[in-house]
Amino acid sequence: MKCVTPLGLYGVLFLAFVYAPILLVVVFSFNANPINMMIWDGFTLDWYRLIFGMEAKAAESASYIDSTAQLYAAVRTSFVVAFATTAISTLFGTALALAVSRFRFRLAGFYRGILLVPMIMPDIVLGIALLIFFVTIGANLSIGTIIVGQCTFLISYVFVTVSARLALLDETLEEASADLGATPLQTFRRITLPAIAPGVLGGALLAFIISMDDLVITYFVAGTGDTTLPIHIWGMLRRGIKPEINAIATLMLLFTLVVAAAGLYFRQKKE
Amino acid sequence: MPRLLEIHKASKAFHSPEGGTITALDEVSLSLSSAEFLTLLGPSGCGKTTLLRAISGFEPLDRGQITIDGQEMTDRPAHRRPVNTVFQRYALFPHLTVGRNVSYALEIAGTPKAEIRTRVGEMLDLVGLAGLGQRGISQLSGGQQQRVALARALVARPKLLLLDEPLSALDKNLRRQMQLELKRLQEELQIGFVFVTHDQEEALTMSDRIAVLAQGQIQQLGTPEDLYRHPANRFTAEFLGESNLLPVALHDGAAILADGQRVPASGRGTSTLMIRPEMLGTAPVADGLTFAGTIRERFYSGTSNLLIVETQAFGMLQALLRADAPIAVPGSPVTLYAGRADLHIIPGGAT
Repeated sequence: MKCVTPLGLYGVLFLAFVYAPILLVVVFSFNANPINMMIWDGFTLDWYRLIFGMEAKAAESASYIDSTAQLYAAVRTSFVVAFATTAISTLFGTALALAVSRFRFRLAGFYRGILLVPMIMPDIVLGIALLIFFVTIGANLSIGTIIVGQCTFLISYVFVTVSARLALLDETLEEASADLGATPLQTFRRITLPAIAPGVLGGALLAFIISMDDLVITYFVAGTGDTTLPIHIWGMLRRGIKPEINAIATLMLLFTLVVAAAGLYFRQKKE
Repeated sequence: MPRLLEIHKASKAFHSPEGGTITALDEVSLSLSSAEFLTLLGPSGCGKTTLLRAISGFEPLDRGQITIDGQEMTDRPAHRRPVNTVFQRYALFPHLTVGRNVSYALEIAGTPKAEIRTRVGEMLDLVGLAGLGQRGISQLSGGQQQRVALARALVARPKLLLLDEPLSALDKNLRRQMQLELKRLQEELQIGFVFVTHDQEEALTMSDRIAVLAQGQIQQLGTPEDLYRHPANRFTAEFLGESNLLPVALHDGAAILADGQRVPASGRGTSTLMIRPEMLGTAPVADGLTFAGTIRERFYSGTSNLLIVETQAFGMLQALLRADAPIAVPGSPVTLYAGRADLHIIPGGAT
């Protein structure tokens, strides 16, 4: 038998530390025991059935999903918000990255700095600030305020991702294009955009995933009628950790992995 | 008929990071007749690249005027100027094939597809890359990339081609070969080339005329022979090729050397006498200059022997002798001769 080195052991423990809790959630989502999920009571898909509003053999009393309709509404809200914020933040984040890297103006470094601040700003501070702001201007809290609120920091994520890609772009390529007769717009479409496309796509996916996942800021600026999936889950949790939550978490995990994998795949294909 | 390129008193200054200004171009005037190979030669920071970028439109001038083919260019953006550029590091579009790189200018201009295909084919033939149109840029060698850059810049048939140190990234043998090919291309296409380099040998080999630049000013403009044989000032003499520069006093229609030898010359005051190393020989010359000294070092290069000779009056002199000339070993005495016709007194050249 091979000797286990201390470093190897450390590596295994580290991976266990990071992934074991997530793995447990996935395993528990298939556990038939409705009372104590720590005790394995056989394999079941009942929790998934419950989520999708299907008949389940599990004790009905265990179900804490008040109505599947509410869950669906939350999922729908999350998707609407995620698509809208992704579109807006990708557009503005990319434009900002281009402006800061291409135009030489005073305080360019300062602008770059303040664009990074929303990323490191404590969520709770940003959430309170946004809430006070919306209340002050008299805006009704709604899906609109969620979108605006999330964009304030998602733009920064896109900005950073696209900026990193732009830094790799040789500016003489744009000069070469102009030299061959291309207008600035043609140069952007034919040379700059293809070069930064992986960065734009990466930024968009990042924005999408973060938007789907955001709880704190969204919680502050969401109207009573507009519940996103994380807020819905948070609401469920307050009444105890129930097996259906494991199933929902597992599905969210799966969805995120699929989106991330798609991102990696397209990126690889580009290169 | 208007000249192909006319630059009138072009000036440009940059702000240095320390807060001062750097004069990159100082009232540079220059003109190019059609189908001429002009080289801008100078050390780095002399303004040659700035001048090229001013012609292509990437560097707006502070003052001055540029016309191409009779058309005023000064305020025209780069993409509307009828010139094309071969960039120093080629700047090929990495996401496009060789063929699409070459066809870029034609696609932008809206040339019909069939014509694009023919002309791209012709261009690839011209630069010796026939059949490689489908290749990716990263699959090419440095020399091949150079040729793609050339084809891409020539496909729109510009009357004036700008080349920004295009050969500096190539190894020596390939460089030599590309120098000859560029010259052949220029003669074949009968268009104007403005070629930027810091390599004096390259400039001498290829150019019809050379403009030597230093400190934002043209030091001298002329044919390679002209510049090499009759440099207008010390900078040109030292920058182009090797030279022995001896201080002389001009007096009574003669230039008097430090050891009292005289050669006929006009003017007054002090000046500099230039003798190229290859103009010094060991065979006696009837009316010329004689330098007696001791051989200190000898470098053999196959075609020639370079001697470093120490003289009493002038210190070290360089002499480039044919390899088959009889040579004494270092340490032994030698007498060098220079014919009067091979001497050049640098005008106005107080040392």
